[in-house]
Amino acid sequence: MSLKHTVPEEPRAPSLVPPAVAALLSLLLPGLGQALARSLRRGLLLLFSFATLGGLLAWRIRLAAPRDEGAVAIARKAFHLQPFLLFNALLLLLLYLWIAWDAWQTARRTEGAPVGIFALVLVAFFAVGWQVGGIDPVRFVTQLDEAGPPLMRVLWPWERAIEYPQEVQIVKAPILSPCTGEPFAGGQPKEGEPYLLTDPTCGNPSEQDGTPGTTFTLRGFGLEPNSEAEIWWEDPIGNEFRQRQEGEYVTVQTDAQGNFEVQIVMPYRLLPPSAGEGPKIWTVEARQVVSVGKPQASKELKLAIEKIIETIFIGMMATFFGILLALPVSFFAARNLMSASPFTLVIYYLTRAVLNVIRSIEPLIWAIIFVIVVGLGPFAGILALTVHSIAALGKLYSESIESIDPGPIEAIQATGANWIQTVRYAVVPQIIPPFVSFTIYRWDINIRMSTIIGFVGGGGIGFLLAQWIRLLDYRAAGIAVWFIAITVAILDYVSAEIRARFV
Amino acid sequence: MLEIRNLTKIYDDGTVALKNVSFTVPDGEFLVIIGLSGSGKSTLLRCINRLIDPTEGQILWNGVDLAQLEGEELRKVRRQIGMIFQHFNLVKRSSVLTNVLTGRLGYLPTWRSLTGRFPPEDIQRAWQALERLGIADQAHKRADELSGGQQQRVGIARALMQDPKMILADEPVASLDPVLAHSILQRLESLNREDGITVLCSLHYLDLVQRYATRVIGLRQGELVYEGSREDIRQMTDAQFKEIYGEEAERIGAGGGITGSIEEHSARGGAA
Repeated sequence: MSLKHTVPEEPRAPSLVPPAVAALLSLLLPGLGQALARSLRRGLLLLFSFATLGGLLAWRIRLAAPRDEGAVAIARKAFHLQPFLLFNALLLLLLYLWIAWDAWQTARRTEGAPVGIFALVLVAFFAVGWQVGGIDPVRFVTQLDEAGPPLMRVLWPWERAIEYPQEVQIVKAPILSPCTGEPFAGGQPKEGEPYLLTDPTCGNPSEQDGTPGTTFTLRGFGLEPNSEAEIWWEDPIGNEFRQRQEGEYVTVQTDAQGNFEVQIVMPYRLLPPSAGEGPKIWTVEARQVVSVGKPQASKELKLAIEKIIETIFIGMMATFFGILLALPVSFFAARNLMSASPFTLVIYYLTRAVLNVIRSIEPLIWAIIFVIVVGLGPFAGILALTVHSIAALGKLYSESIESIDPGPIEAIQATGANWIQTVRYAVVPQIIPPFVSFTIYRWDINIRMSTIIGFVGGGGIGFLLAQWIRLLDYRAAGIAVWFIAITVAILDYVSAEIRARFV
Repeated sequence: MLEIRNLTKIYDDGTVALKNVSFTVPDGEFLVIIGLSGSGKSTLLRCINRLIDPTEGQILWNGVDLAQLEGEELRKVRRQIGMIFQHFNLVKRSSVLTNVLTGRLGYLPTWRSLTGRFPPEDIQRAWQALERLGIADQAHKRADELSGGQQQRVGIARALMQDPKMILADEPVASLDPVLAHSILQRLESLNREDGITVLCSLHYLDLVQRYATRVIGLRQGELVYEGSREDIRQMTDAQFKEIYGEEAERIGAGGGITGSIEEHSARGGAA
């Protein structure tokens, strides 16, 4: 919004209409009053602003209540759902009134054109932007709490970096069904081993019609402390199934000594006739996943290491190929070297145009294109970054070629040297420092880019990161983030060192 | 013998830099070209070794028209013509020795020169040239570490490496103080006298012109307006001088005792 155009350089001619009429006309059509008060540009600008704001507001209101019919219903629903729209509407109303007042003022005077009204226009536009952007600082603050735990997992993910080999430990106790009147031993205490005790040790399963079976008090001793155990059954014919109670699987929590106690109802189980008649032995089980053996690097850690190495090499290879191809290209894109004849000048313009087009397409989009060509994986990423590097480096290189001192070129040419000798002795020595500098800069960018090129399937750690974030595995994602940060920091340091040496 | 016939240069933007210039330079001459900045001195020198292509006219050097040469033939002629520049035009980041050695590029096969390894005899030649110009002790320094006078001596050494029959010097001392100016011109004079190299040199300082020139030509707005021997310029009149340097120019001092730049002093003095 250029405010300075609204300030006329000389006094305006007197208004065509009296102030009151101007105000009324501006109420009819915002800006009309100003236009007739010989302030046409101001009027047009205000009309345009008002119309744009009005259109935007109408669109946002309609978007907020897409299924309603009738203006009133739509507005009511929209203002109810998104109260901020009300504020937008009030601003627009204020602007409408101010435009009318401004028309009165403009018609009354021939000098001065206050710019306050345009400040209001700006505020109204920002308010629309605020609404369109869904900006909600309150949510940002209130939901920061909830985001805390996942964020903490990202910030300190290292629990996920180690794991223990695990196995399922099963503790069993036999149950006799039905009871025979004779005492049945059931589970027995064992020294130094986990065991289950049931009370009673015999009973009846639930019936098909819903009659509950015997309720057992199941007690476990010496299991893995402070962890979960699942209750399972093995029926007389050897089928294993989980204990359900009220539709839920039964899971118990062991205490610090590894003991637990739970009431379970013996479940219903249809046994085939071949199982035979008479009392049979059922088995009730407590199953736990327990860690055994030494801690070792987790699968996620290994994957992350594997992929960060791949990432670094993607960046390296892309930079290498980029330099290799950008070098010759840059000579074709340097005007001072190519202005010798119309033919070379055509090559120059062509090269420049192609470089500009390539450079204007982001590496991520190149990656998507190359994934289509060569499939998922690091090669697609390398191709994408290479192409973008050629364009970027080609431009930077050619610009440093263009900015070299032409004196030595003239001098070397004057010795009878040919074109390639002139490049070797007059151009190359001058461009080595900027080339080294730009190359390192590009290397930095490529390493950074290679960490995210995987988001679109271009290989490297980005692929893992995207996957883990989508799986809500924030700890694993945190490992990837840490690796990226460490790698980028190290390479920053390395490139700064190289720069200090060579430039 | 160098013979310039009807040389005209019109730049792409329409500027007429040289208008029908003709003159002859016998071998072994120290020809000084005088004239205001923009009078066409640099264009003239650059037309001779074809750093600039003339629009019309002939540049006959020992019977060969340089204006018609292209490619390999042009380069073979160029390597016999050394050139020295006002701003030295050394490759600043390269060593003094390398800068001097580049004077041999015209004689070396391309593949050989690209490696950066020059033949031992060329390196020996470079040391001799540096020795002759008194800067052998600077050989391994970067060119931009040297003072202006030393850099210009490197420039002369580079030209010397070409085994030149002719040296074009485009205001070789305009960036140097008067003491250094004499030192540089003395070296050019020695090349001219001892080695018989024809020298074409543009200068601003009248006392330098009078001291070193064996012949003088004056350019004004691209036209040859003066031609005279060393004796002629010693007896140069104000009228002649004004014709070269413009109506507003005033000669400072008189006779052989003139110091300072004709162009600078007189042009400004006139304008004030």
